[in-house]
Amino acid sequence: MALFAVFQTTFLLALLPLRTYESEVLSEPLLLTPESLKVSVNSTRQRLHLQWTVHSLAYHQELKMVFQIQISRFKTSNVIWVENYRTTVKRNRVLHWSWESKLPLECAAHFIRMRSMVDDARIPKPGFWSNWSSWEEADAQNSLGHDPLLVFPKDKLVEEGSNVTICYVSRIHRDNISCYLEGVQIYGEQLDRSVSAFELKNVSFIRKRGTNVFCKVDQGGALGGIVLFVSKVLEEPKDFSCETQDLKTLTCTWDPGSDTGLSKQPSQSYTLFESFSGKKTLCKHRNWCNWQVAQDSQETYNFTLVAENYLRKRSVSILFNLTQRVHPMTPYNLFPKNVGATNATMTWKVHSIGNNSTLLCQLELLAEGKVIQQHNVSIKVNGEYLLSELEPDTEYVARVRCAYTNHFWKWSELISQKFNTAEAAPSEAPDVWRNMKMVSGHPTVSLFWKPLSKVHANGKILFYNVIVENLDKPSRLEVLSIPAPTRSTELTLDQCSYQIHVTAHNSVGPSPASVIVISGDPGNEEVESGRVNGTEDGFSVSWKPQSGDATGYVVEWCDGPQDLPCALQWKNLGPNTTSTVISSGAFRPGVRYNFRIYEISAKRMAHLLEKKAGYLEELAPSDNPQVVMSNLTSHSFTLSWKDYSTESQPGFIQGYHVYLKPKAGEQCPPAFEKTVLPEDSLCCKHTIDNPEQKTFVVENLQPESVYEFFVTAYTSVGEGPLDAFTKITTLDEYSHILIRIILPMIFCVLIVMIICYLKHQWLKEKCYPDIPDPYKSSVLSLIKSKMLLKL
Amino acid sequence: MDLRAGDSWGMLACLCAVLWHLPAVPALNRTGDPGPGPSIQKTYDLTRYLEHQLRSLAGTYLNYLGPPFNEPDFNPPRLGAETLPRATVNLEVWRSLNDRLRLTQNYEAYSHLLCYLRGLNRQAATAELRRSLAHFCTSLQGLLGSIAGVMAALGYPLPQPLPGTEPTWTPGPAHSDFLQKMDDFWLLKELQTWLWRSAKDFNRLKKKMQPPAAAVTLHLEAHGF
Repeated sequence: MALFAVFQTTFLLALLPLRTYESEVLSEPLLLTPESLKVSVNSTRQRLHLQWTVHSLAYHQELKMVFQIQISRFKTSNVIWVENYRTTVKRNRVLHWSWESKLPLECAAHFIRMRSMVDDARIPKPGFWSNWSSWEEADAQNSLGHDPLLVFPKDKLVEEGSNVTICYVSRIHRDNISCYLEGVQIYGEQLDRSVSAFELKNVSFIRKRGTNVFCKVDQGGALGGIVLFVSKVLEEPKDFSCETQDLKTLTCTWDPGSDTGLSKQPSQSYTLFESFSGKKTLCKHRNWCNWQVAQDSQETYNFTLVAENYLRKRSVSILFNLTQRVHPMTPYNLFPKNVGATNATMTWKVHSIGNNSTLLCQLELLAEGKVIQQHNVSIKVNGEYLLSELEPDTEYVARVRCAYTNHFWKWSELISQKFNTAEAAPSEAPDVWRNMKMVSGHPTVSLFWKPLSKVHANGKILFYNVIVENLDKPSRLEVLSIPAPTRSTELTLDQCSYQIHVTAHNSVGPSPASVIVISGDPGNEEVESGRVNGTEDGFSVSWKPQSGDATGYVVEWCDGPQDLPCALQWKNLGPNTTSTVISSGAFRPGVRYNFRIYEISAKRMAHLLEKKAGYLEELAPSDNPQVVMSNLTSHSFTLSWKDYSTESQPGFIQGYHVYLKPKAGEQCPPAFEKTVLPEDSLCCKHTIDNPEQKTFVVENLQPESVYEFFVTAYTSVGEGPLDAFTKITTLDEYSHILIRIILPMIFCVLIVMIICYLKHQWLKEKCYPDIPDPYKSSVLSLIKSKMLLKL
Repeated sequence: MDLRAGDSWGMLACLCAVLWHLPAVPALNRTGDPGPGPSIQKTYDLTRYLEHQLRSLAGTYLNYLGPPFNEPDFNPPRLGAETLPRATVNLEVWRSLNDRLRLTQNYEAYSHLLCYLRGLNRQAATAELRRSLAHFCTSLQGLLGSIAGVMAALGYPLPQPLPGTEPTWTPGPAHSDFLQKMDDFWLLKELQTWLWRSAKDFNRLKKKMQPPAAAVTLHLEAHGF
């Protein structure tokens, strides 16, 4: 009982202060005035910092309170900011609050005061505001110095695009102060007698040395200015990626974007954080960083790259498995080990990754820049692969790149190596042809061969061997070695049959042999002649096979005109062909090409099958026949041009045109028809359609008349050039007759005269012999003389 | 000591050698000697060359500072650059300067200016500017050497800088970047004015030093003759 009473009393006594407190609370409003207000100024950040306490709070009491803060500028009545600050208050705990001023604090005096109110849910409403504290002045102006014109904020660092308020404080008290931003005048607002402010909106980066803003007194000496450092906005690092070459060092790379460095602010720094290990490293370079992978450490990495400058921080993160970011180093020591003519073994090495890791290597073979083979090889350290199906004596490039087999991330860089396969013996027999002629009664064979193509040569052809075997005298064998690049040779033979082997030799060995058999018999030249037509592609040559066992055909021609030495060309064709198209870049219009078609027998002997001639494109004759006129009479004359060669014209001569210009007003002779010449003169024309007819008698002409004639040849394209006409005059009719009589008469007289002269003595004796004169006798004279002597 | 024929040839050779090296011997009292003339001319030429070089350097640097510093009519008050040696001086005072004082003023001015210029170079943000400034500093060093040569030729001692008065380019705590730019501006301007003035100084000296064909007094110390 007594115990219970004591307990009760104690309980009541304990409750008493609580009741008292409660009644106190309920009876009076709780006013907790803020005390010990201290204002500090951070000019650089343009911040006012306030700190205060609430002393009148009971011990251990924690209350939610709201503080109303007023800020005035220039004078206390000019309130520019009111804010309600809510916080939990404890007795004697210092409370802090700060405010950033848009206007630099040096340009105006600022005043702060506050009042408080309890704002706790435990205390029933309504609360009452405490009294205002007294105005506290925040003076940033006392250390300004004595300069007449001061501009603020000094050396402020801002980001591009932000808004900045510039102000000046003038001690001159004049109106004519003008301010300039980068030399361009700016206009602002006068806040006070000596203070003006300028709002710069969306400032842009101009140069690393900062943007100049200055103010000056017009017509005065005073000048003040600031440098506003506008930094480019720090960009988030782009393309952030990490990879390893050897599972020991990770290299992270990124695109840093623009450099935000200024003379006031260093370039942004980059730091790598790894969240699982908690480690970080400061990167020395602006776009890459190395990270050491600890032995047997984690597999998964969570990297955060932080870019930071004085104004801003940006970060970007990636999460990955180490083994999924392997970018192997470039393979090395790639070289061909055993190089043959058709295969080669490539060997190479790779840097090892971790312990016993396998790499997948891709080996590519290139010829003339194009990939012709690709092989995948799994290796650990040493790679080897046999490349086959290669061409002899060819340059190839082999290249290798490798990737991590466990998880493909990236191929390594490529390593290339050039090599040449070895030569092999030529794989095909040279294409050989012959030309036979007689030189001083001996059959002479000119052998020609075409150089082997690179595909068949399998190396550099050094010489050709020509083996001449006399079939009639088998023991006699002649071997000629002709160094390349000579492509022909001449052999003087006799009437025997010969078998000629031609082989091409490179450094490895000989090609298969080309065999030609030449008989002593020159062969039959009398074969069918034909014509071929030329087209854009060349000549379409066809022939009729003669014997059923031909092993092939050869079409032979000279590439150039007939008057030049023959550049012999030929085309080898298979046994069942009966036509082919011969094309050559050397074919020219107006040149006659003669094709000779040979049949190659089973015994490898060629005999002429057919001859064809054609023009790629016929042209008109280039010159006219040299005409000789003969048998001129009063009514006709004969024209002939026997020397005109129809073979050497630029087209097939189809005939001739004989032009005749008769006497004025006269009709054309019967064989002629009227025609008009290009000069618009009338003419008579006669067409001869046989190219072999090279004479013509122009008859039915008028005597004693002047005629002009002209002969030209024509082809399917046109006729020869128009030359000068030749004039002739027909003979007079009567004089013709007279000539028939007079000439014989004169001839007879002459004969008679000659006879008379020759036989004049006989004639004399017969017709008028001498009467003898004895006194002229010689005997008589002799006697006379003797008599005289005697006397 | 007996003088022999060989000895007289030796004497002549020695005399020639001495005469050849005459211009380099500092302890000579020369009156009307063309000795310092060539080096004064060289110094004058160097100031003209530096004037030309400064024109392009100043243009580049002031563009780097930005307007209004690169505006041709910009003339701010000379606030912080009080320690810069002033080239402008009263005309009468300038005329009345004696040779030694004239040369000393030039030497001291360029020593100071070179120091300040080197400080400027350390802060320049671009590599190209640093190169140009370094090149100019080297040339200015050459000018200093040339002035020292003239002073030595004329027998004047080189002014020694007092300890503690070494000009250093350390801006005070209240020295804003704008004031720094103004100081840079004034440094270049004063350098320009000094080079202009030096040309006049050396021209004056050159005219004074022109020899009126007077006799050369040689004081030779002969050893072993």
